[in-house]
This record gives sequence, structure tokens and C-alpha cells, in this order.
Amino acid sequence: MDIPKENLISYHGPINIDLVSFISNYLKQYIKADNSVIGRIYKVLIELIQNVSYYSADQYSNLRSFGSGIGWFRIDAQNECFTITTGNKILKEHGPILLKNSEEINALDEEALRDLKRKTRSQANIRDIGAHIGLIQTGLITGNNLEIKVEPIDNEFSFLIISASVNKTNT
Amino acid sequence: MKSLMIEAIPDSPYYPEVNFDASNGVCLIQGESYMEEAYKFYMPLLDWLKEFAVEENNKVTLNVMLTYFNTNSSRLLLDMFDILKKSVDAGNVVEINWYYEEDDPDIMDEVEDFEIETGLEINMIPFQA
Repeated sequence: MDIPKENLISYHGPINIDLVSFISNYLKQYIKADNSVIGRIYKVLIELIQNVSYYSADQYSNLRSFGSGIGWFRIDAQNECFTITTGNKILKEHGPILLKNSEEINALDEEALRDLKRKTRSQANIRDIGAHIGLIQTGLITGNNLEIKVEPIDNEFSFLIISASVNKTNT
Repeated sequence: MKSLMIEAIPDSPYYPEVNFDASNGVCLIQGESYMEEAYKFYMPLLDWLKEFAVEENNKVTLNVMLTYFNTNSSRLLLDMFDILKKSVDAGNVVEINWYYEEDDPDIMDEVEDFEIETGLEINMIPFQA
């Protein structure tokens, strides 16, 4: 682990589009880094927390919004990078698929990942393009491996934790 | 055919501003795009372009000034470009200009991916935010 680390922000609760917008724009002003690095944090944060918002198995039904998934996210400053980490409940059967997808993403080089993104995007349903392409995009933007853990909760649900790192030095 | 205009909403910056001008075929989409249920926002744009560029065979100049779009929106942007490719294939004139922030390290690859997928040529024009 790259230490020391400083937690820049953490949140746990329902995540809807207005929260996504507020937090991501707030961070643009709060994080001290090159504009290109801040831009990458912004892009990765939105992709990952929108996945929580849309696909968390825990949905907050009182918010009049399409996606109001309950989960958490945090951003930490490490020595060499910023990490964006999200956590949310998922249906148990989705765990192996997410692990397989992230293994595939981590194994591909940039050009192969771009090929996979184009193929996945063109085949995606416009009403719900799925979480997979957001993870591919995160892999492309960061150039680093995704870290993903699936912890069993019970017979029906698991807990998903995804972490992505944005280098402080632009590449 | 009427122009299509969607004004920017300061409290909802995840919706871009749209101005598709039927009088001269100059179409602008600018701002950021990461709304929920993106297809609901983009369907009127796709329908407008189908009618204007494919059915009525009009010349289109599309100016894209999106400083951020998420993967959901990129799926719909791809559909927009597919419609414009159909117009090109039918012999119509289509020009696409993508205005990008110079300090965005990823945008060239993003746009090149659209070019590879659609076979369209997209002009890249830098600007400083």
C-alpha cells in the first residue's frame, strides 16, 4: 500500500444525480493537482459512483430519481496517486461476473481495452448500458489496474468494493 | 422543420445545452453530459437529426463542445454519429467539429474511437477553458 494517505472525502448514504454533480464539482476546487489529474479524478469518480447509484442492490425509494442507490465512496490522497473507492451491496450472482470482467480489464493493454470498449458500447442497450463499460472506461482513464473485492453477506447478497487509482503524475 | 433548442440549466450541469438550427444546419451541443436515463434526453436529438439530415438530406455542421460526457452519454453520441454517417453515405454534406480542452489527456482517444466505429472524420479543434 502506498502510504501515508489522507482521506479527502468520504460519504455513505443514498447517491443520486444531484449528489454526484455536487461532489464532483466540489472536488474540482478542493483537490490540489494538475488540471489533467483533477479531470481524471472527476471522470473516474462520476463513472464509479453512478454505478453505485444505478446498480446498488440497496435503493433508496423515497428519492424521486432514477438511480438512488445506497453505498459509500471515498477519495484518498496517497504519495503517488489518488484513490477513488466505492462500496455497495449487490446480488450474489453478480459477484462472479464483476470479478471476471475486472480480471479481463486488468489483463488487457490500452489498445485491447479500447477495442473492448468500442465493442461493449456498440452492443449496449441505450436504456441501460450496464456497469461493465464504466469499469472499462475507468481502466482506460487511469491506466492502472482496478482493485475489486466481493465479500459475501448472506445467501442473497454480497458486498462489492471497487478501487481505482489516478496517478499524480500525468501520463 | 423547427429548430431544436435546450437551454443550459445552472442547477443541473449534467445536462448539456443544445441548439440545432434548422435554418442553416449548424448544430451545437455544449457543456457536460452525465444525466440519468441519458436516452430520454438524447432521443429528441436523434429524431431531429434523422429527419433533418437523413430524410430531408440537409447539410449539417455539428459542433461538439462537451468538456465531459460519461459512458452512458457516449453510447448516445455514437448513435448521433451513426445517423450522420447515414447522411454522408446518402451523399449529403456533414461536417463535425469537436472542440476540446487542451489539458484533457484522454479526449483524442475518445474521439478517435468514435471515428473508428463510425467511419466519420471529426475535426479536432483545441480551446482553453
